[in-house]
Amino acid sequence: MGKQVASFIVNDRPYEVLIEPQTTLAELLRDHLDLTGTKFNCEVGECGCCAVIVDGKLARSCLTLAITVRDKSILTIEGIANGNILHPLQQAFIDYGAIQCGFCTPGMILTAKVLLDKNPEPTREDAKEALSANLCRCTGYVKIIDAVLGAAERMRSGTG
Amino acid sequence: MRYFEYLEPRTLSEACEFLDTYPEAKILAGGLSLINLLKIDLVTPRYLINLKTVPGLTNIEFSVDKGATVGALVTDQDVIESPIICGRYPLLVEAGRKIASLAIRSQGTVGGNICHADPSADFPPALIVLNSRLKAVSSKGQRIVPIEDFFVDYLESVLETSEILTEIEIPAPLPNTGWSFLELNKTWNSATVVSVAATISLDSGGKCGAARLALGGSGLTPIKVTSASDILIDKEVNPNLVEEVSLEAQKICNPISNVFGSADYKREMVGILTTRAMNEALERAKAMV
Repeated sequence: MGKQVASFIVNDRPYEVLIEPQTTLAELLRDHLDLTGTKFNCEVGECGCCAVIVDGKLARSCLTLAITVRDKSILTIEGIANGNILHPLQQAFIDYGAIQCGFCTPGMILTAKVLLDKNPEPTREDAKEALSANLCRCTGYVKIIDAVLGAAERMRSGTG
Repeated sequence: MRYFEYLEPRTLSEACEFLDTYPEAKILAGGLSLINLLKIDLVTPRYLINLKTVPGLTNIEFSVDKGATVGALVTDQDVIESPIICGRYPLLVEAGRKIASLAIRSQGTVGGNICHADPSADFPPALIVLNSRLKAVSSKGQRIVPIEDFFVDYLESVLETSEILTEIEIPAPLPNTGWSFLELNKTWNSATVVSVAATISLDSGGKCGAARLALGGSGLTPIKVTSASDILIDKEVNPNLVEEVSLEAQKICNPISNVFGSADYKREMVGILTTRAMNEALERAKAMV
């Protein structure tokens, strides 16, 4: 079988990519589509840096074969801003100082987005639980949680 | 990853045919366990069969006579959010909630959680005490395997290479049944060290009509503690009997020493969690009578 051309929809854009069955979604995004916001890190699904959203649900792109998500709607960190206007979560991460090296940030934001899509008014415990599978080595998490809750509040009040 | 061919069956029969035709094939469901194994060459299948392209394996249904049937490809998250499971099998919800994180639960499937046959998996002990039965299908037909007979060894089950787990049957819950699912985790949502699932059903006289106990992370497979029933049945459950059950659990379990603790430590934890679980199940049962 070898390489084959497969169709993908990433951030609402169609792509045709030559892939092998072994190509992971993370490799597809980073190496084939130059969407390097999604990160390689632990490569075993435990750190959350590879997190993307497929058909509205969180997925570990390092443990997803690209060929299995053909024609599904794939959302990466590059896709959540509205043109030049950052998503409230992205803006909040900046405003609250929740970014140091930035490596965990895409995974954190996408995971937080799934939380807020389901639960627009999370408690601090809800936010901590939702982000418990995203590891950060820099920040100590406090400002990340503050940013998520701050973004939630802005989104609820329409100022986000 | 080593090279493999990728197959997309359109029906369950086609998937079974692929398994017959390509003996070095593995079934791909959520991929969380399998792809990790592929990455370190622990398994090297020549063919990967994507079971998710087969329709009809993601349903959850309930009937009074059959109980619940859960399709093998239902994600962990869909199991714990299902109104049927939440309404009738809170034990299963509690077990499922312990699985890693929303990200993992959104991608992992209950069938995969079972078939990977990791003794620390969260669903199996709960499914054992719920008397679940597994439907395995091949091109030659199907068979039903009680889940307590499904696990053979570490990462090994009775599933033949020609078979696919398609459904989990969970009988209707017994009346006046209290339950408990307790886990010792490294951190509050990380790997399971040991887990205990228990149910106690009380008869109209307040005596134990049925009792079931199963352990996770306590051996090479999930373990059903059959003697729990022998000790408690037809008796009024008291602390001495609970202690007896706890000692039994410690005696028959066979934990491995690893980074999460020594075998002795885990055995002691099995004892403590069993006592707590039995007591919690009993309290819940009493509250229902």
